[in-house]
Amino acid sequence: MRLALDRRRFLSLMAAGAALPTMGRFASAASPFAFQASWINDAEFTGYFVAMDKGYYAEEGLDLSYASGGPDVIPESTIIAGKADLTLTTPDTTIKAIAEQGAPFKIIGTQYQKNPIGIVSLASNPIKSPEDLIGKTLAVPPVNVISVEAMLKISGVDRSKINIVPYAYDPTPLIKGEIDASLDFTTNVPFTIKQAGADATSFLLYDFGFTIFNDTVVVTEETLKSKRKELVSFLRASRKGWEENLKDTTVYPPKFADSWFKGTGRSIENELFFNEAQKSLIEAEGGIFSMSEEAIEANIKALAEVGIAAKREYFDTSLLEEI
Amino acid sequence: MATKTPAAKTESVLSLRQKLARYSTVRNWLLLLVFWEIIGQLRLVADGALPAPSAILARMWVDWADYPPHIWATLEGAGAGFLIGNAVAIAAGVLFATFPLTQRLARGVNVALFALPPIAVSPILVITFSDMTPRIILAAIGCYFVTMSATVTGIQQTDRRIVDVVHAYGGRQWKTLIYAQMRSAIPAILSGLRVAAPNAVLGSILAEFGGGGRFGLGVYLIGSLGRGEPDRLWGIGLSATVIAGLAYLLFSLIATRLTGTSKAVTVPASPPAPKAEKSMVLTLALGTVSFALPFLLWWLMLAIMGTPAMIAKTPVGLFDYLFMMPSSLVSLGKLATALGQTLPMTMVGMAVGLSFAFALALCSVLYTAIIRGFMPVALVTQTMPLVALTPLLVLILGRGPSLILWITVSVTFFPAFVTMAQGLSMVSRAAIEVPKAYGAGPFRQLWLVSIPASLPYLFAATRLAVPRALLGVMIAEWLATGKGLGNLLNQSRGYLDYGMIWSVSVVSVLISVLFYQIVVAIEQRVLSKRGMAPAQ
Repeated sequence: MRLALDRRRFLSLMAAGAALPTMGRFASAASPFAFQASWINDAEFTGYFVAMDKGYYAEEGLDLSYASGGPDVIPESTIIAGKADLTLTTPDTTIKAIAEQGAPFKIIGTQYQKNPIGIVSLASNPIKSPEDLIGKTLAVPPVNVISVEAMLKISGVDRSKINIVPYAYDPTPLIKGEIDASLDFTTNVPFTIKQAGADATSFLLYDFGFTIFNDTVVVTEETLKSKRKELVSFLRASRKGWEENLKDTTVYPPKFADSWFKGTGRSIENELFFNEAQKSLIEAEGGIFSMSEEAIEANIKALAEVGIAAKREYFDTSLLEEI
Repeated sequence: MATKTPAAKTESVLSLRQKLARYSTVRNWLLLLVFWEIIGQLRLVADGALPAPSAILARMWVDWADYPPHIWATLEGAGAGFLIGNAVAIAAGVLFATFPLTQRLARGVNVALFALPPIAVSPILVITFSDMTPRIILAAIGCYFVTMSATVTGIQQTDRRIVDVVHAYGGRQWKTLIYAQMRSAIPAILSGLRVAAPNAVLGSILAEFGGGGRFGLGVYLIGSLGRGEPDRLWGIGLSATVIAGLAYLLFSLIATRLTGTSKAVTVPASPPAPKAEKSMVLTLALGTVSFALPFLLWWLMLAIMGTPAMIAKTPVGLFDYLFMMPSSLVSLGKLATALGQTLPMTMVGMAVGLSFAFALALCSVLYTAIIRGFMPVALVTQTMPLVALTPLLVLILGRGPSLILWITVSVTFFPAFVTMAQGLSMVSRAAIEVPKAYGAGPFRQLWLVSIPASLPYLFAATRLAVPRALLGVMIAEWLATGKGLGNLLNQSRGYLDYGMIWSVSVVSVLISVLFYQIVVAIEQRVLSKRGMAPAQ
């Protein structure tokens, strides 16, 4: 027994010894890089999970640490506080903070070319356009009220004619008909509604004039100066991860069932639906994360409608060019 | 044993009655379960939004593989918070009991920690700290007040004679503390820990829900909410209930083991009152320092953390935000509107919650069995995370004032009920015998003797209800109605309006403290007129 133990310890020591030089080399080469996601682990972040598992970040010399988000996590806070180097945000929130509070943020790319947020309703009580909302009850997460107000204003619908109530992340009231519609990721909730035996109708805020990105890649101006090389590396590796994931949207979610998606409370079928549904919203002519001049212009115009004075200089496309 | 002594006879009758009572309690619980099952199976409540117990269990069976990492993470956060919170609490308790002046200085901090609504501080904890820290802090805050008060009371109640013995043998303050006071305080401390344990679990879950991170029942809950499956949500909620309940049981067991007796516990709702000082100047000075101390600690904490001024508002920063900036008027306006919506509901909710608790407490004297049967329901309302229940409540009650009241009453009544019931049960038998002898019925006895005699406990219950009522209203606003402080807190995140997040947080704590102080003032008036002392 004692001998066996000793031998085992000896072997593990040998193994550790053998690994030491390589580890040392990696440690000196890889720069630590902290990434704060905007929500709990779901298909929204599959591209990054692929890039981590396939070692794309390590190849780029990044030692990436990944933090999941949640309802009280304000992604922008984490980069101001220096807890993360880079984060994903809702652009209306970020831009409002730059314009009105002088927050030191720069948008260096975007995961979604088209914001996946939309109005979801039951096919039996369909809401197909902003006008249909008049006289109805719409559940909106308090953080997103700003987006809905923008869409309504752009569509010329009087906000006071719609009963907006908080959306507490649970679609049960919608399925049971207590509310007529809810604001959520259209890549997500229609699946849940189908599971509950009903059919969903949805439209994107994007398609009704609120032409903004979502999950914009945001850093502080200071990080942009001091870690430019790492940021380009991050974008390159992440783009590779997303390309790999979107090649066939059915491949990766099941592979993460026991790692990234383990015990999230969601189902792999749900992630598969999500992954497929987000494909067309992510892919871009200029490559994933790219921000074309027209798209930036569309963002600025949409935000101007609700009195948020976005400027071209809030967006920095130069890192994307270096990929 | 042909003949029994009279004493033995009454004893056996008593135990038979106890057995019967226990039997009827179990029977009532079972009836309740069957009733719930039928309602669930027939989808009678909100078109099936209330799942049957069997469906919840079946669902837990399917999901079982998901649970262990979440439960472990919750236990980790709650455990660390429990250890730290109680260590601080006991140390503080010893300090306060040994040097009463420190207690008066710390009164502001103590009351603030007691009164703060967790939902309001969770967002600022997540902004300021990272990883496990917000969970641990919220769990620790849940433990601090209960254990600290228990420690002070325990030490103060030390038998004078034991202290004299230590003194006679030349023991000084330090020795007295170790040999006499700490020992005699142990039962009190243990009873504090018993209440603190479930608090720690719930604190951790609340921070998990909002704070990101990979595991924890709160994280599981947020992931599961989007599925629209009530049976899963109830499964998670009931697991939280079971863990909180087990934590309570564990410390009850330890307490019985160590002290050999089980003592009745109340939840302490006031820092044990130090003796009043004669000098007005000293009282004023102490009051001022005690008021300033929480602000100083708040400022110091941020200075140590080095959190940037944009997201972390110091007292000065908050003052600037609210009064000195061009946007201040707008901010104050928003805050005032929200307060106008939240405050009236809080007062109504508190009144209804206390009345309900009072009615229940009276019932507990008059109809014991019904109350025992009701206890499990009451416990579930205390430990089920409200986010899991909201969809159901919204479906049943809509999103109007009735929903706010329901949530507020459900978070308010229980501790108030326990305290009031204890007060009523401690009324002296001899006093009740008097009206009884004159032919008064049970109601008249209550009216003439029990209620006036348990006044201190009624006030203690009111003090407990104050912060909880505000918490209940804010939760309902956040999750269902979209008005008031609860909603403003949440909406401000979408605007990255950190000043407003801090404002709401601080204002809600201040309101709690203010209400609390008002109750204390009325209490002192009423009780001193009647020659009574406040109940802990």
